[in-house]
Amino acid sequence: MAERRPSSFNFRALILAGLAVLALLLVLFGPMFLDRFTLNVLTRSMIYAMLAITVDLLWGFTGVLTFGQAAFFGIGAYAAAMILTHMGASPGLIALAFALAIIVPMLVGLVVGWLSFSYKATPLYATVISLVLPIVTTQVVFSGGQWTGSSSGLVGYGTLPFGLVGFFRLAGVCLLVLTVAAWFFVRSDAGKLLVAIRDNEVRCAYLGLNPQRLKIALTTVLAGVAGLAGFLFANSSGVVAPEITGFVFGTELVIWTALGGRGTIIGPVMGTIGIDYLSANLSGELPFLWNLVIGTLFVAMIILLPNGLAALVAKFLPARRGAGAMRLTNLAAAGAQVTAPEEAALLSVKDLGKTYGSLKVLEGLDFDIRPGELVSLVGPNGAGKTSLMRCLSDGTEISSGVVRVAGQEINGRTPNEIVALGVGRKFQVASVFESLAVADCLRLALAARHRPSPVTRESDLALPTAALDILRLTGLDHMLERPVADLSHGLKQSLELAMVVALEPRLILLDEPTAGLTKTERTTIGGILQKLTRELGIAAIVVEHDLDFVRTISSRVVVLHQGRLVLDGTVDAVANSELVKTIYSGGAHG
Amino acid sequence: MIVLLDIVTTAAILFVVASGLLAIFGVLKIINFAHGAWLTLGGYCAVVTTALGLNPWTALPLAFVAGALLGAITEMVIVRPLYRRPLDAILATWGLGIVIGQLITLWFGRDVQFTPNLLSGTVDLFGASYSIYRLFTIAAALIIGCAFAFLLEGTRLGLSTRAVIMNETLARALGIDVARVRLITFMIGTGLTGLAGVLLTPLTSVDPNMGVGWLIGAFMLVMVAGSSFAALAFACLIFGGAQVMVSTFVSPILGGITVAVLCALVLRVSPKGFSRG
Repeated sequence: MAERRPSSFNFRALILAGLAVLALLLVLFGPMFLDRFTLNVLTRSMIYAMLAITVDLLWGFTGVLTFGQAAFFGIGAYAAAMILTHMGASPGLIALAFALAIIVPMLVGLVVGWLSFSYKATPLYATVISLVLPIVTTQVVFSGGQWTGSSSGLVGYGTLPFGLVGFFRLAGVCLLVLTVAAWFFVRSDAGKLLVAIRDNEVRCAYLGLNPQRLKIALTTVLAGVAGLAGFLFANSSGVVAPEITGFVFGTELVIWTALGGRGTIIGPVMGTIGIDYLSANLSGELPFLWNLVIGTLFVAMIILLPNGLAALVAKFLPARRGAGAMRLTNLAAAGAQVTAPEEAALLSVKDLGKTYGSLKVLEGLDFDIRPGELVSLVGPNGAGKTSLMRCLSDGTEISSGVVRVAGQEINGRTPNEIVALGVGRKFQVASVFESLAVADCLRLALAARHRPSPVTRESDLALPTAALDILRLTGLDHMLERPVADLSHGLKQSLELAMVVALEPRLILLDEPTAGLTKTERTTIGGILQKLTRELGIAAIVVEHDLDFVRTISSRVVVLHQGRLVLDGTVDAVANSELVKTIYSGGAHG
Repeated sequence: MIVLLDIVTTAAILFVVASGLLAIFGVLKIINFAHGAWLTLGGYCAVVTTALGLNPWTALPLAFVAGALLGAITEMVIVRPLYRRPLDAILATWGLGIVIGQLITLWFGRDVQFTPNLLSGTVDLFGASYSIYRLFTIAAALIIGCAFAFLLEGTRLGLSTRAVIMNETLARALGIDVARVRLITFMIGTGLTGLAGVLLTPLTSVDPNMGVGWLIGAFMLVMVAGSSFAALAFACLIFGGAQVMVSTFVSPILGGITVAVLCALVLRVSPKGFSRG
């Protein structure tokens, strides 16, 4: 399946380019054979389709279920309509209305984004906020008196002088431009960030990216796009009413997106235009039955076909992967090679404690780690090894004491800030991005330092030498276009290690890197770790149960027992210690 | 004084409306976005009993049974495949809400229906007359609250349910039939919501969309309450109180969004809401 098939890619691209040209022709020449009613309806449907794209980018790609796009649309439409009603429709004022219709929703979007996405907020919370927003907006419109026209809305204001046909073409061109832009964006390296956040937000943070800030930025920009759609709507329809800001309209947008196919760009566009057009034609004759059918279809689709109609269609198209050959190149060594003076501690832990309520998991830990050390952290289950790793990579987890990385206190800092100090963490269960290709995962590891392109997918992948070594040793360098979901357990572990190493960390934390691996894979990982520490001067802390493995690779061993540090010394000193044999009898067979 | 009574009765009504949603969310960790449809269903049970010439009070058991039966079908067909996709469950139940709403519209028409008051008249309290029915809602809320406390603390089903809430995997390993607990909980939750729909009829008009307006408020309260009925009662008193104060002294329109806005802010500060202190 990972065979590169440039021809199939071209075929697929050809179909889509053909569709775009066809759509442009329809938009430009449609008014010659469509009647007024159809033109009217389709103008509206195409504006709604722009909103569906914004819903899809948030929900289908990034995984944030939102009902709030209706509110941004309504705010944009009302901002425009209020300027045009109360100040007039001279060219200057229309320009002002245009600007405000985009800026006001973006400002609201910024606030909503800040409210919705805080560190440790649940995904449900963003949905909750997206429900409150349209309800508040509608009530504000209702209580706006003559400014907003209250329940009857605003009507009869001056608009852009385009007429029915002009607005049809304007909406069509806007939709086409947005569709093409979104299509390129989600296939670009920067667009992969959205899917990465949906797949595994934690890993994003541990690659030094700030998922919260990315989602706030996305919400803000898409609020602006929704506002633009609102401006078009206010002009083309000549009326704004409270319903367009409301929660029910927000759910309709989600339904159209779901039926068309979330996670694709064309699906929601087609779904929205198709359903809104059919609704306009059928709901006159069978109003309740039509909604009943849509509701039933929606329920069935969510349960049986979560990716919508587009997923069905995609089955009949040739495979998407194989977009040209990905070339691996060597990344010129960056700042990470500047190592601290040898004697200075890279990591310094002073009196570290961690409690869950009244339960003490870690207590009074003190130790330093210098560059080039490979420290194994051992101890029976429940000794607090994983809690310690968590405290070292996420400053918000620390209950008491001080942890410094390269002299900087990390208490209270979020994982992405700690990654920026040069700490990389590999999780016990491989934490990668299941729906992306291997190359995309690796590129995301570089994204925090090398801004990914928002337009194209680069064909060169420049990685640090150490990461390239891992890929070559494990054979991943021949699987760059393979979807991560198809990789074996061992390969996922290696991929994650390569991603962490690609961050060029000064300290690397590994939680049971060899669990569930074969003997050969274990030896490979051990060799890589030794090379990283001895040749590149990276410090490593490895949580490990396999004492043979510990003995071969470590320069130092730290033993934890019941949340306290009981031994800290050379491999031999620890392996021969009676204390370790008693508390760790399960693993001590040497 | 009247304001104080308004606060308590408003809180009682919110509690009655939200308790069915809480029962489901607390155990199944699923948000039943068709909650409004069950309220509507309850309202139409009152319409049906009136049309049949029965005592208006018989609508209560009828609505409970109808709600629970529909709930059983819903749990088995729609909710069960979606336990691992909670956001999709919100959408699927919202879709179900549309379907139920349209079916009711097809059957009864979209006009507003009228039902006889369960309890009419007023009573003189503190020198002012007050609706007997609003006072009765306090009793209804207390009865529902106590019934849940008894179910959870005093019965075998309650014990299994608490086990499922605390640790589902362990409960399964101990041989508790988690699927059955979920089904029964869903039925109780939806039955109760149908009952709440009947209790709402004297306060609002009955039409196919009567439930939707209550959905968001109930949803927000449940988000804040987590899985605890005590927390829900507390949240209803606080936010219901705020709603009455804002409606009385500022503006009724702003009062309508008080609950949602305050709950959202509380959740921003403390993501677990009131469920942990």
